[in-house]
Amino acid sequence: MAEDADRSDRRRFVQALGAGVLALGVSPRARASRVHAAIAATTVGGTRAVASGKPRVVVVKTKKALVHGYDADRGALRAMLAAGLVALTQQKDAVASLSKLVRPAERIGFKINGLAARQAATHVELVDELSALLAKADVEGRQQIAFDRFARDLSASGFSSRLGGYRCMGNDEAGHEEELSQMPSSASRLSRVLTSQVDGVINLPVLKQHMLAGMTGALKNNFGCIHNPNKMHLDHCDPFIAEVNAIPAIRDKQRLVIMDALRPVVDLGPAYQSGMIEVANTLIFATDLVAADAVGLALLEKLRAKHGLPTLAKAGVTPTYLATAAKIGLGVCDLQGIEVVSIEV
Amino acid sequence: MGSRRDFFRTCGGVGCALAAGASAGSVLLPAKAFAGSSPRVYPARFWKKLGQKRIECELCPKHCQVDDRERGFCGVRENRDGEYKTLVWGQPCAIHVDPIEKKPLFHFLPGTRAFSIATAGCNLECKCCQNWDISQSKPEDVDFRFMPPDEVVRNAKGYDACVTFTYSEPIVFLEYCIDTAMAAREAGVRTTMVTGGSGEAAPMKEALKFLDAVKVDLKGFTEDYYQRLCKGKLEPVLKTIEVIRASGVWLELVHLCVPGQNDSESEIRAMCRWVKSHLGADVPVHFSRFHPEYQMKNLPPTPNATLVRCREIGLGEGLHFVYTGNVPGLSGESTSCPKCSKVVVARRGFEVEAIHLKAGHCAFCGASIPGVWS
Repeated sequence: MAEDADRSDRRRFVQALGAGVLALGVSPRARASRVHAAIAATTVGGTRAVASGKPRVVVVKTKKALVHGYDADRGALRAMLAAGLVALTQQKDAVASLSKLVRPAERIGFKINGLAARQAATHVELVDELSALLAKADVEGRQQIAFDRFARDLSASGFSSRLGGYRCMGNDEAGHEEELSQMPSSASRLSRVLTSQVDGVINLPVLKQHMLAGMTGALKNNFGCIHNPNKMHLDHCDPFIAEVNAIPAIRDKQRLVIMDALRPVVDLGPAYQSGMIEVANTLIFATDLVAADAVGLALLEKLRAKHGLPTLAKAGVTPTYLATAAKIGLGVCDLQGIEVVSIEV
Repeated sequence: MGSRRDFFRTCGGVGCALAAGASAGSVLLPAKAFAGSSPRVYPARFWKKLGQKRIECELCPKHCQVDDRERGFCGVRENRDGEYKTLVWGQPCAIHVDPIEKKPLFHFLPGTRAFSIATAGCNLECKCCQNWDISQSKPEDVDFRFMPPDEVVRNAKGYDACVTFTYSEPIVFLEYCIDTAMAAREAGVRTTMVTGGSGEAAPMKEALKFLDAVKVDLKGFTEDYYQRLCKGKLEPVLKTIEVIRASGVWLELVHLCVPGQNDSESEIRAMCRWVKSHLGADVPVHFSRFHPEYQMKNLPPTPNATLVRCREIGLGEGLHFVYTGNVPGLSGESTSCPKCSKVVVARRGFEVEAIHLKAGHCAFCGASIPGVWS
């Protein structure tokens, strides 16, 4: 039944793209690959700054996104989402912006980071607001799914499936593909949520210092799409993070990054550590995962300095994987090569 | 078939499934009784607190520093609220009855059986791993059944077998190994371990108190090989091997010859010299054939000539017991007396065809043959 549903979705998706994109008489695999290519072209064209040719990263800050503790103000998040999406895609409003990034009838996954539970996880309020916007862009709640490694992490972060809303699922519930995805340095099984249940992914990492990787952002968040991230933390996760993000099934489904930097963990991460949170009231929008992380890293360093902490390099945990990711063509890590748009709402 | 039926009964009739395609021995897999279930959680040993709920594992040289709700490299030990837990104690995902020769242990009760168990997880990631589907999996990704130590021992006794911890990496389920080995010793059942040897000395010494034999995979003899192809290090493995040898527990070594990776004459010779100088000439060394698997499907199987050559090097360096492995019928499977050169244990594959030993001595010349023979 799942396979039938998948085919049906694909058919509708192909129709939505327009018959001109596809040639008749090609295999389903080739067709799928062309669909991915079409998405990539659309996405890139819509989000690169026309004049500069650089990937655009939008940093949206507000005075007060947090109500108290870690609870977020939904109204503030709505405004931040609207501003960020419009600035990223240069469309007239947030719904039109999302329509530029996803297609009607697509199944969209929200890759959240729930490891550190509610105190330092992707804000559920952010995903709720994004979900509502997506529904207006004809991606209904039942086509949306929030996922992470473990169901318990989703639950501890406040995520639960609701009637009419998006579903929530841990990879431990959905399982992983039997077939290995081979990388130069390792091999992994991919989450079945990623491979079978979603057509595109909105990557919603939390900006955190990471004691082994240096930092965790959009690229590292995709460790939650494989079965064995525990094998990938040697050598500051380099080149493992880059290689995981180069797996076609992961790379080709990335549609948008919205980095939750409302309350970054500035040290002793990735777990929540009391006293290591800096309230930044910031969301970072991008379609280039490497660029999003590069901008996130700059913010993290700034917050660490404010906190009286040394740079990550001095602390001996430089996130070298960013340069590796750029080197293999996943995006841009040099801030000079990124168009950073800062907005305050 | 009788014994297999017995095993079903022993397992309580909860549906052990037979596995096809096993290379030898009666092979049994656990029921799917716990498939998709969350693993049970037990306190881990061999770790210390670092503060702020972070812990450091002291089981193996990786010394993983693990945050709350995270796991170490092995994937089977988890920090829960500042306490380290094992997720595999009593939860084997592979249960087979093998000939002891399959381990391979050639100088340990030849012709007997090994009730062999493994849990998920490993503290290495060898690109040529033959059991990657369990060693590189997490507990919740595999089918497992609950089998506490006393049940393992009961099953082993039912088969007149020793207990063997094998297939994946026993070091990552060491608490289960120790508890089972203790129960086995009390019941008069022997226990053996097949390990990559990448462990810390203290926990290994704890286990050695209750083990009767250990086979260590000495996967290569360069740091480069271990780092590049195993995500590990050579030096701690050598230390572990020395710890085992010093303990008096019977030790055998296996070297899987991966074409072009760890089979150069200089590397093999250096390894054999180290074995002789650090462990002595009586420690058996097996040179086994590699089969393309996991992330090394691009390589051919080891040519027989390589195995024969490795054996010649070992014997030339003065080792007394050097074997070829994974190629039934290839010369080098049988044990010969170092004094009179006559075959004292004749083997073909995992089959023992004849034993010419009298109380651990060569039946022909009376020379002592090291090992555990009774």
